[in-house]
Amino acid sequence: MSEIVDAWVRRLKGKLRPIGEMTHWERMAAAFELRRSDLVPVAPELDYWQITYAGYSHAEIYNDVDKTTDACIRTWADLRTDAIWMYVDISHQIENFIPPEKRPEHFVHRGDKDYLLFKPVAKTIDEAIELYESRAYERYLEGSRAVTHYVPHMLQLLEFQEKMDRIVPVIVGIATPSNYAETLVEVQQFVRWTVTEPKKVKRYLDLALEERLAALDFYAEIARKHGLHFVCLFGGARTWGPRQLREFGYADEIFVQKAVKLFPYVFWHICGHNLPEAMQLLVQWDGIKAVQYDMPYYSQKLSWPEWCESVARLFAGKRCAMNSPTTQTACHGTPEDVRRMVREFLDATLPHTTAVVMPGCEVDSYSPVENVRAMIEEARRKPLP
Amino acid sequence: MEKAERLQKLAQAVLEMDVEGIVPLVEDSLAAGLSPVEILAEGLSAGMRQVGERFKQGEIFMPEVLVSCDVYYRGLEILRPLIRQTGGGPVRGKMIIGTIYGDIHSVGKDVAVPVFQAAGYDVIDLGVDVPDERFVEAIREYEPDIVGLGTYMTSTFMHTRETVRVIEQAGLRDRVKIICGGPAVDPAAARRMGADDASDDAWEAVGKLDRLVEELRAARRSV
Repeated sequence: MSEIVDAWVRRLKGKLRPIGEMTHWERMAAAFELRRSDLVPVAPELDYWQITYAGYSHAEIYNDVDKTTDACIRTWADLRTDAIWMYVDISHQIENFIPPEKRPEHFVHRGDKDYLLFKPVAKTIDEAIELYESRAYERYLEGSRAVTHYVPHMLQLLEFQEKMDRIVPVIVGIATPSNYAETLVEVQQFVRWTVTEPKKVKRYLDLALEERLAALDFYAEIARKHGLHFVCLFGGARTWGPRQLREFGYADEIFVQKAVKLFPYVFWHICGHNLPEAMQLLVQWDGIKAVQYDMPYYSQKLSWPEWCESVARLFAGKRCAMNSPTTQTACHGTPEDVRRMVREFLDATLPHTTAVVMPGCEVDSYSPVENVRAMIEEARRKPLP
Repeated sequence: MEKAERLQKLAQAVLEMDVEGIVPLVEDSLAAGLSPVEILAEGLSAGMRQVGERFKQGEIFMPEVLVSCDVYYRGLEILRPLIRQTGGGPVRGKMIIGTIYGDIHSVGKDVAVPVFQAAGYDVIDLGVDVPDERFVEAIREYEPDIVGLGTYMTSTFMHTRETVRVIEQAGLRDRVKIICGGPAVDPAAARRMGADDASDDAWEAVGKLDRLVEELRAARRSV
């Protein structure tokens, strides 16, 4: 029971104007199941943006679960997107790998709109392996923000979802083994080691996988008791090449195989410059219903519509495509740039598969409100084929 | 072994990520009488150019590029003091570069620095999470033509405005050109924030550096 959730439920339940014929939940579910929906769903990953939109600073919400939840619901009530993304910061993910007395060295608040800066937990591959072998993440779990902030916030949003009779889904992000493995040591180091220390990288990934598979059991319990249905698997491996995908992709694949058995609506997040081979893998991994993808890889000389169409053709009959505008355009472009990019994505995608308007990565805190509104309006305006 | 063959082997070592082999290769080449500048320009740097071409063609990818850069650096470490002693070869321009305040990523900078060096730029790497004041100090200390701001997230790219403001406040803005680099940059947005340009491609950025240095020199000549 949460007072902040109950206050919002009293204010909103039965009083919201319908957006279309379907509820937000039904619209998202239809897109995931490759069925026709009444409108194109729009579900931007609002992340830090929703905190400042709701009038809070990051420092203000950092240690206040109620304000975090309030920001997410307040933003949704205003914008009526088709999903509520829970707020996650990097300390939620890795604080339980760090002894309590050392945590202040690892996280730096820079400004009200800026991401929490974090410093890697391990500097060498051997240190990283040792972190897992010594099960540091279990030893330091109690009192970490994973327990004190991440879980309570997730439960509050799921409580809201359930008390609102599932008219809108809450999206919970779960990091994959590759994401954890890269985050703990910093991606540039990890990527080098895939070339210079492949055996140790395999050992490291195996350990990360073991921890992540156990974490899924925890989320499965949340799903059973609290109605977690929509899960975003945050993939790492964004700077890997085809060789790395072939040699090390197994860890994420095993993780996916378990996740898709636990949650009905699983999608994969792959931001950055996407390799065609990575997109092909995501089509092969059974059970993923949608892919939040981003920009084409550096060596692919494709326009935005060509890129979106090539992905849509690949996804036809298999995956829902989630994209547009790019995080960069949402932040630096004009509302018209945003509208054009959304239109181009939908025009290229809808003839082949279903679509959700959702930038390939988070909406940055500095993104103008009018750009986010333009994204939503353009999605709502698009007639379905 | 012929000189041309040695240079080709050096380039090949960079391309093939020969982390262990590069040091003996450079030492052997020096012992055989090749000059440090030749080894750098026609061996290691030629290798880096081939890395760029293969990356653009989609034949190699970021992990391989990063390790090739490490190999280049290993060779450069041996050559740098020798080049300094002999006065070095021609330099296209001087640059300081660092990942902007609040950002600890270096995946792009680790590629950009050797690419710029291989193209003939004298590059001073200030590291990651560089405070704005450090850029000011480094401009005074090294008197560069170019300030490179590495920004790897959209939110840290937005810090460009503040870094430029601090450089301006120190009265140094007219002395340098400022370019942003990284996957999240946008040239128009960079200019709106007071920088001169931006690029998400190290090889493409070399052309932009050349143009900026030329503009800066033309402005200096006109003063």
